[in-house]
Amino acid sequence: MFRYIVKRLLSLIPVLFGVSIIVFFLVRLIPGSALEMYMGTQVEATPEQMIELQRIFGEDKPVPVLYVEWLGRILQGDFGYSLRTGRPVLPDILSRLPLSLELTILSLALALLIGIPQGILSSLKRNPFSDVINRVIGLLGLSLPQFWLASLMVLAFANFSGWIPMGNYIKFSVDPIRNLRMLLLPSLAIGIGLAAVIMRYTRNSMLEVLQMDYIRTAKAKGLTKRVVILRHALKNAILPVITVAGFNTGYLLGGAIVIEEVFALPGMGRLALYAIYQRDYPVIQAIVLMIATIFVLVNLVTDLIYAMVDPRIRLDDGGR
Amino acid sequence: MKRPSIMLIALLAVTLFGAAGAFAAPAAQAVLTIGVDQEAVGIDPHIVTAFSSMRRIDLMYNRLVRLDDNFVVVPDLAESWEVPNNVTYIFHLRKGVKFHNGRELTADDVQYSLQRILDPKTASPGRSYVSLITSIDVVDRYTVKLNLSAPLASLLDGLTSNNCSIVAKEAVEANGNLQKTDAGTGPFMLQDWIPDNSMTLVKNASYFEKGAPYLDKVIFRVIPEQASLLAGVKSGDIDLATISDGATIRQASKDSKVVVMSKPGLNMRIFSFNTTKKPFDDVRVRQALAMTLNRSEILGIAEFGMGKPTGPVPVAATQWAVPVAKLPYASPDIAKAKKLLAEAGYPKGFSFKITCSATYEGGLAVAQVAQEELKKIGVTAELEVVEWGVYIDKWVKRDFETMIELRGGSGEPDRFLYRTFYSTGGVNNFLFKDAEVDKYLDLGRTQTVLADRKASYNKLQTLLTEKAPAIFLYCPNENQVMGKQVSGFKLVGNGSLFYVTFTKVKR
Repeated sequence: MFRYIVKRLLSLIPVLFGVSIIVFFLVRLIPGSALEMYMGTQVEATPEQMIELQRIFGEDKPVPVLYVEWLGRILQGDFGYSLRTGRPVLPDILSRLPLSLELTILSLALALLIGIPQGILSSLKRNPFSDVINRVIGLLGLSLPQFWLASLMVLAFANFSGWIPMGNYIKFSVDPIRNLRMLLLPSLAIGIGLAAVIMRYTRNSMLEVLQMDYIRTAKAKGLTKRVVILRHALKNAILPVITVAGFNTGYLLGGAIVIEEVFALPGMGRLALYAIYQRDYPVIQAIVLMIATIFVLVNLVTDLIYAMVDPRIRLDDGGR
Repeated sequence: MKRPSIMLIALLAVTLFGAAGAFAAPAAQAVLTIGVDQEAVGIDPHIVTAFSSMRRIDLMYNRLVRLDDNFVVVPDLAESWEVPNNVTYIFHLRKGVKFHNGRELTADDVQYSLQRILDPKTASPGRSYVSLITSIDVVDRYTVKLNLSAPLASLLDGLTSNNCSIVAKEAVEANGNLQKTDAGTGPFMLQDWIPDNSMTLVKNASYFEKGAPYLDKVIFRVIPEQASLLAGVKSGDIDLATISDGATIRQASKDSKVVVMSKPGLNMRIFSFNTTKKPFDDVRVRQALAMTLNRSEILGIAEFGMGKPTGPVPVAATQWAVPVAKLPYASPDIAKAKKLLAEAGYPKGFSFKITCSATYEGGLAVAQVAQEELKKIGVTAELEVVEWGVYIDKWVKRDFETMIELRGGSGEPDRFLYRTFYSTGGVNNFLFKDAEVDKYLDLGRTQTVLADRKASYNKLQTLLTEKAPAIFLYCPNENQVMGKQVSGFKLVGNGSLFYVTFTKVKR
């Protein structure tokens, strides 16, 4: 197990190396540059000023040379300075990670708390009426656009101060109650859609599992319905749900851009969005590397959870 | 009945007085919360270009002179000045002005700041406003002399720019630059800055304006969505919000809970031509389009009527702007336009591209209305809608046929017109070269008698409208939405938040 984890962690190196090359060259293919955005359409500069500006904005050397220089600095832990704000890149990104982490955990928790029980209930086919209700709710949850739901929430809750962040976000470490209150609505906006997805996966998976022979055996053995469903069926049905949850976690940790924009939350999504708008290369490169790392780690954790839940799965392929 | 004991009475009295004492506690702080849709991109006044940064600098710094709400140059750090000849300016500074670090401001600081702006290594956008300064002399502790290489009539106006703020030398030397540091003398001081969230400024108790500022604290909150900004003002979460979206302003005007302040600004909406690309290298074609576009209609549809038609000088600069009605092509003349096109060799019209962007500055709505209007003369416009970064790139590379732009005009005509329309002007993306226009631009810049300058700029406005390197459409309104608790705020057409200095909040 330990060797397996180490092997997976080592795989980070070639992944990050590949990602770094792709992002560095790809992002410079987009028309427009940070220097151009800075100058806009109003600013005049003399030729000497332009030379200095090109040096400051890192446009004075060929791209491969710039890449090697950047890589060298990264390996020493220096992620450079934002072209937009002049602030060091890494501290700014890391300071937003806790918010993205909180939002992800809360959204996922809400989604699982709503989705799994709903999924189980709707798979039991108690009566066709409640089945239809569940399916309709599920469909609504899938189809409601996140930004629309978020905008509605902002309008509806604008008068209840403290529920909408409005640019006065307070960290958990500073005031946990107010922090959680502020993140409840954003998490709900994300969680509803996610809950619908999880509900469907759970329901379909449960339906399949409930047909299995061992379930019939368990019932025949006289076990209570609750034990049959929770101990025997759910444990087997849960695997696809873990996959979906894992994937969405990785995605959310990269920043829920739309939700952050509408609720004015200072998360990684907004940082990435504005960095791309303004062609802030150092920030874009650093965030992409961070998201790649997060994805690899989340995948690893997902696989480990798999192995814990399903004893049939053996992680290391040595020793058959 | 037993008489209440003395002790009990004493206890009661103490309690009551104690309670009264609690109620007489220090008055609550006067705090103004401002909602903005963009985070400041650094706050070094000599380096930044973004409007969002300028709004913070409005409150943290002073310049030698500033603009009042009628675009008149009035004293700021300089209480008076003399112009003995048109290449020499002598400024007399206020005494006892303190930087936020406690040190008194002297002529040395003015010299240092201007030198930093002129230094190519700083690459300051403010340099072009004062580029003709050859030397800055410190005459005495409160007097500074500027020597120019040639006359520059717009110098005073240029010195009102935030890019020409006066900074404390020791702060620059300690930090390399002022992107995160406050080194000013302004009414408010930087206390706290959480990027993409909020910036907190506190009152400068030793500000040189007696009694001001009235507020104890100003907090900037970054809220990207226009609808969320309005919701914030309605609920009282924020007191003042800068809203640019026409539809949201219209909603706000109908709401009795909020106050909307609106007036034509210095920004100008123009339809730009690349005068080197066919058929726009022929002035008759440009004139034909200028005769077709209907300013009021475009203004009505694209900005919900919130603005005023303009010529080459922003209409709000009443000292210099020739009324639109007195300029050529004041109203559409379709028949004449068709005739001109035929003369130029396009009797059946032609087709071309309009480059625009979905952002506010990129003017997509304007392009759509223009597209419709141009059909009347048989001209087919294809919209090239691009992302903002791509738009800027095309602008820089002059890779466009026509473009919808939002330019920052100025109350002083030379400051905007020279760089924009001079044949070697720094932001002349039209690639427009005209000897007559150059001549009047040079004259207007160097003439010192007001009547002469007015004559030159009157002629220039007619020339520019006739030769049409761009079609001058309108100046959109500057808007601020605020709750009823805010008083004392005045709009300045360039978006400046200076009047927060005199603003009060009543809760």
